[in-house]
Amino acid sequence: MSDVSTELALLVDVGSAWAKAGVIGRVRGRWRLVTQVAQPTAWGAAELRRGLIDRLVAAGDPRLANEWDALLDGATRIECHTAHNPGRLAVVAVSREVSGSSARRAAEAAGWQVIEAVTLDDGRTLADRLSRLQSAEVDAWLVAGGFDDGRSPRAMEAAALVASARLPDSGPVIWAGSALLGDDVALLFEEGAVSTVANPRPDARREETGPLRDHLQAVLRAIVADEDERHLASVAFPRAIATMASDGGLRILGIDVGARGAVHAVAEPDGTSAVRVYSTGGLAGAVDVPGAAARVTRIAGDAGDEAAVADTLQTLRARPTTVPQLAEELSATQAAVRMLIAGMVEDGPPEAVDLVVGAGRTIAAAPHPGAAARMLLDGVRPIGVTQLAVDAGSVLGPLGSLPDDEIHEGITLLADDLVVPLGTSVVCRGGSAGQLAMRVTVHRPGWPSHAPIEVRVGQLQVVPLAAGQEAELLIEPGPGITLGASRRSPRIQARATGGAVGIMLDGRGVPIALPRRGDDRRAVLAAWHDALSRDLDRVT
Amino acid sequence: MSVLHRVRLPVGATVLVEVGHSVEPAEVLATRRPASGGMSVPIASRLRRSAADAADLLAVRPGTALEAGDRIADDGHGREVLAPQACLFLGYDLDDGSALVAPLGPTEPILGHVRGEVTSVTPDAIEIRVAGALVTGVGGSGKAVHGELRMAVHEPGDELRAGGIDVSATGRILVGGSRASAEALTRARAMGVAGIVVGGVLDKELRDFEAAQRRRREVGGARGDLAIVIVEGFGKVGIGAELFAWFRSHEGRVASVFGATARVYVYEADAPPPRRILARPGNRVLALRRPFAGIGGELLRVLDQPHANGAGVVSRSALVRFEDGRTAVVPLANLEATGDLSGG
Repeated sequence: MSDVSTELALLVDVGSAWAKAGVIGRVRGRWRLVTQVAQPTAWGAAELRRGLIDRLVAAGDPRLANEWDALLDGATRIECHTAHNPGRLAVVAVSREVSGSSARRAAEAAGWQVIEAVTLDDGRTLADRLSRLQSAEVDAWLVAGGFDDGRSPRAMEAAALVASARLPDSGPVIWAGSALLGDDVALLFEEGAVSTVANPRPDARREETGPLRDHLQAVLRAIVADEDERHLASVAFPRAIATMASDGGLRILGIDVGARGAVHAVAEPDGTSAVRVYSTGGLAGAVDVPGAAARVTRIAGDAGDEAAVADTLQTLRARPTTVPQLAEELSATQAAVRMLIAGMVEDGPPEAVDLVVGAGRTIAAAPHPGAAARMLLDGVRPIGVTQLAVDAGSVLGPLGSLPDDEIHEGITLLADDLVVPLGTSVVCRGGSAGQLAMRVTVHRPGWPSHAPIEVRVGQLQVVPLAAGQEAELLIEPGPGITLGASRRSPRIQARATGGAVGIMLDGRGVPIALPRRGDDRRAVLAAWHDALSRDLDRVT
Repeated sequence: MSVLHRVRLPVGATVLVEVGHSVEPAEVLATRRPASGGMSVPIASRLRRSAADAADLLAVRPGTALEAGDRIADDGHGREVLAPQACLFLGYDLDDGSALVAPLGPTEPILGHVRGEVTSVTPDAIEIRVAGALVTGVGGSGKAVHGELRMAVHEPGDELRAGGIDVSATGRILVGGSRASAEALTRARAMGVAGIVVGGVLDKELRDFEAAQRRRREVGGARGDLAIVIVEGFGKVGIGAELFAWFRSHEGRVASVFGATARVYVYEADAPPPRRILARPGNRVLALRRPFAGIGGELLRVLDQPHANGAGVVSRSALVRFEDGRTAVVPLANLEATGDLSGG
């Protein structure tokens, strides 16, 4: 062994398609990310280790060239992984738009894979519904329908469909319908099969999916009990986001779009968080979004025609470990991520957040930081002033798997390399095309003052501001324009932090409005792309 | 060589085979009586009670399967309501005092669509050991079919064209090349082709074909099924040369094709050419993504440093000499080693 002393830890995130590993070490008294690699998970642990060692030999201390193997053996290993067995669920409800919609969204946000969804108004025959349910191979059944003040016979019919289609002792049944029918529904099944949870649609006007989502998460946890929950990426990533939020006193939105699933976590300064896990919300699921190819073609602008985009989306499903080789395939992939994030945010848009953190290979390893910023900006539409960052080192998942008494320390120790800042976005909404969206004065201490920047509705402008730099923003919204929070002053002061992209002044509205004419749309999309893709050398 | 095939059984199926039975593709493994629509059975009026009172006199619970003549409700004083035919009791309407039942239709067979030996029977599935090889695709369409394998193109990169499909293909499993157009699929269906195994299909054309199939079924004009399995990728993607040669060497053998699950069983066949996701220098490789999707070549060397490809994506990459004469740097993740894997 060399007499050079080292302190190392190995951070490993094993995803369904890609495995990422990073080595962190103490450098001049501070923990830093020394190197990282990513590879298809199927290549195996030995190849991952070999890749790490190759990088360490090339970039590390030459005195340790022959020592890395032994050093990695002695390194602390901190690992998270994607759930091996996503829970499969059948949803049976009275109406597609009311009880069915609420139940399905709660289930998907809890991490279930909805294998079959049947409603009594789905246009199918009774025989077809029964046949589909009888053929479904699922781990649990979710039944919903009826309001809490009534004993809907239709809701009982939905429960009876499940009773007719399910083998006894073949997975739990969750009743999330009329509170008055809970006991009656329980009688349809063997003892102990049914658990009752608060109705997500207690009446025609209210929707409260939280208790159902929490209950479904608990049931899912019980089904995947053989996996150590803390090490599941869907648990670990939100834990890391929550720790960052409490440590920094920030409200943070974490978005992780993986090959198969996706996670949406909003963490509050007090450390609490609201987490939604989409087991099929990752890139492989993009092809199943209704009208996906047309939507991606439209919002990408440069991804080729709809038929080519459809093939790309199928390829993302069929070959999740491969990477785009053509610019148009990369564009389609990134547009698909924007679409997927927008879909997640639609389920419950957060109020203004201080920081948005993007994770997952497509976002965090985007070839250009402007592309990563655009996926977050266009997908989330974070109204107001928001910092954007990416988990470029894939360290948040592994760090989030640390025990409760170590996670704060882990997050704090790696603070310098925790996330890569992209910059600060200022997103407004309202107004009509061409009118003034906002006038922004950027003042950097020690720098000469510049004239205010005028951003028109539909425009996206980027002001370079390097990582580590700060600037004061004076924002004057145009008439009818809002940045989210109500205000008394015609001017808003905010602090912006820099990053790989800079300050993004976004007057494109919420949601983004695109021209109908194809040529106009492509021109507008190209202008936005150019604004975010300026040469990094210019970022000072 | 043998592989296990699982036949899922719906609730209420009657199993007709036992462990150890040898079964053929068209053999009935089990039967079921599917529900055939709902009907109302008056309860309250027949019991001469109010709708609410009659609810307490029901003898069955929703979800119960009933035979003709089974009691649905009785008042304890001689009045009773019997099931008019075999049915599923689904619920009771408190408003009009009637029961909703789903009559069970005629018995339907459940086929395995594979040849083999039954190795396990449980309430929800039958497992069959198939003496043959399994090729798994990346996508597909249609139900399960079986038939004789027939090569429909000469080269793995050739398109399967409508003009090349005639009546001699009826009942066969055609092995195409790099693409089967919607026109070719429609022609195949019209000619009674049982299945198609192809390297790639344009997703849009496949969806258009499926939509046309659905419409035909809805108007009652469709008969039989055409199963399609895509083995390499979406778009114009040839079958890997080794796999194509393997199919050619088994032309005339019987195969079962499961479109929806993208599986092809070829009976009495040796193992298909192996594939490995991590290719090594010297390996024969198949490219998985455009612009080289479906083209084979030789992996010359793995680059020492990560390489940015045409899209700008940085990844471990390899230099590949393709069989069409081009030499290119390709992300290692976009290659599969195929054929003889001893290289490297």
